[in-house]
Amino acid sequence: MSREALHESLSAVMDNEADELELRRMLAGDNPELRATWSRYQLARAAMHKELIEPRLDIAAAVSAALADEAAPAQPRRSGWKGLGRLAVAASVTVAVLAGVRLYNQNEVAGPQLAQQAAQPSISVPQASQGSTVLAGYSEGQAEVPAQTAADSAPIERWHEERLPSYVRQHAQQAAFGSGSESALPYARAASMEER
Amino acid sequence: MRVLPLYVVLGGWLSMPALAADAGAWMDRLATAEQKQSYAGTFVYERNGSFSSHAVWQRVEGGRVQERLLQLDGPPAEVVRVDGQVQCATDELAAQFREAQAWHGQRLDPKALSEWYEFRVIGDSRVAGRSAVALAVTARDQHRYGFELHLDRDTGLPLKSLMLNEKGQLLERFQFTRFTADPVDEQLLKPSAVCKDIAVVARDATPDSAWHSDWLPPGFELLDANERPSPASPETVAWLSYGDGLAKFSVFLEPLRGALVEDARSQMGPTVAVSKRISTADGDVMVTVVGEIPLGTAERVALSMRYGAEQAQE
Repeated sequence: MSREALHESLSAVMDNEADELELRRMLAGDNPELRATWSRYQLARAAMHKELIEPRLDIAAAVSAALADEAAPAQPRRSGWKGLGRLAVAASVTVAVLAGVRLYNQNEVAGPQLAQQAAQPSISVPQASQGSTVLAGYSEGQAEVPAQTAADSAPIERWHEERLPSYVRQHAQQAAFGSGSESALPYARAASMEER
Repeated sequence: MRVLPLYVVLGGWLSMPALAADAGAWMDRLATAEQKQSYAGTFVYERNGSFSSHAVWQRVEGGRVQERLLQLDGPPAEVVRVDGQVQCATDELAAQFREAQAWHGQRLDPKALSEWYEFRVIGDSRVAGRSAVALAVTARDQHRYGFELHLDRDTGLPLKSLMLNEKGQLLERFQFTRFTADPVDEQLLKPSAVCKDIAVVARDATPDSAWHSDWLPPGFELLDANERPSPASPETVAWLSYGDGLAKFSVFLEPLRGALVEDARSQMGPTVAVSKRISTADGDVMVTVVGEIPLGTAERVALSMRYGAEQAQE
């Protein structure tokens, strides 16, 4: 793709006119100049929307990394790619951007901006319920939870499924109540383990 | 009060040691405030896949600390504690309780913690409408997670705590949305009807187990150990609990008796669970490490568990 064409695609992405495939193609290539441009565009758009953006964050790189990770599982299943694959890509792009926002939020600014940016994840939540790939992407890549689904190895996985909830609960209880007084944090952790 | 922020700013200019000393002073305040200060408020807890809101009341009178915690959304999980000992709890939280360690046993000890964590004042903040100071609690090695703590300037109590992994990603958020340090009426400490009395299991003064670990991350010590029936078989599961004063993990060991089970791992926000099969003279055992520690550390602990006097068999 020529430089002109690339930058044209970039504008299209910024105007939400491009699809994920286009974004994927653009950011997958190792083109620092293009990424820099994308970051600048992002910044400009943020300024227009009166959003606060941390200029140091290379969100383009994060998105690019998310796309690279996504490529592997998407390849072998040509058939499912159109549906789930697209959602997965879209979700992890959102996550990469969100991760940047979160990082920035740790510097703690005023409430309104926070609320405004926090509104983003709700867009991806419906998608998250559609498949395990999407969920794994949504959890910022930490949940490299066993890729084996229940269908793959049911009897073997059952062993863990029957025990893990009880183990986790016992650990959380000990942490929360086993050591005299502490802050309410371990209690909240224990309570959160009870949710289904 | 106006002098404090200025001191923080000047400290940043003049020297890092001054900043660290200031952070240490705040941690000392936190350690004492948790046992001295009456307060009430509501807070939210968020981790990957879970968001909940809770109310808390703490009443300190004549050296006696009463505490009541109540989940505000979903099932009304509730706990009432007096001097750290659980008095009553709802069913979900109360499968079985171990007697809490002696009141002065495992308190927050900033001095001991500073060997494994670095404390640093990173700035001013505002939480639940109150002025707060933000501290970075950074792990000195890769075997534990760091925190960002926001302490109330008036009371020294934590208004907000973020747990971060080594990449700076947020693993969990604990944050007050409303907080008052006014005296708390005794009526508010009364448990509701769903809060059931708890029979507490007594514990030995020094925890003991047939199992031990050949390797532990520096600073972690055995806190408790016992045996319980397996949740899914007639086997007995050995359980050991370790902590470094801030982070904790549990080790569960269940004999496999020839069962074919693969290793597994999963992560729920800050809590990791790693299962590894290890061999003993008595047959294979599944070791499961559950805790708020990095995955790699949990795996290494799992592979380091030994039965009795057995040595590493690499």
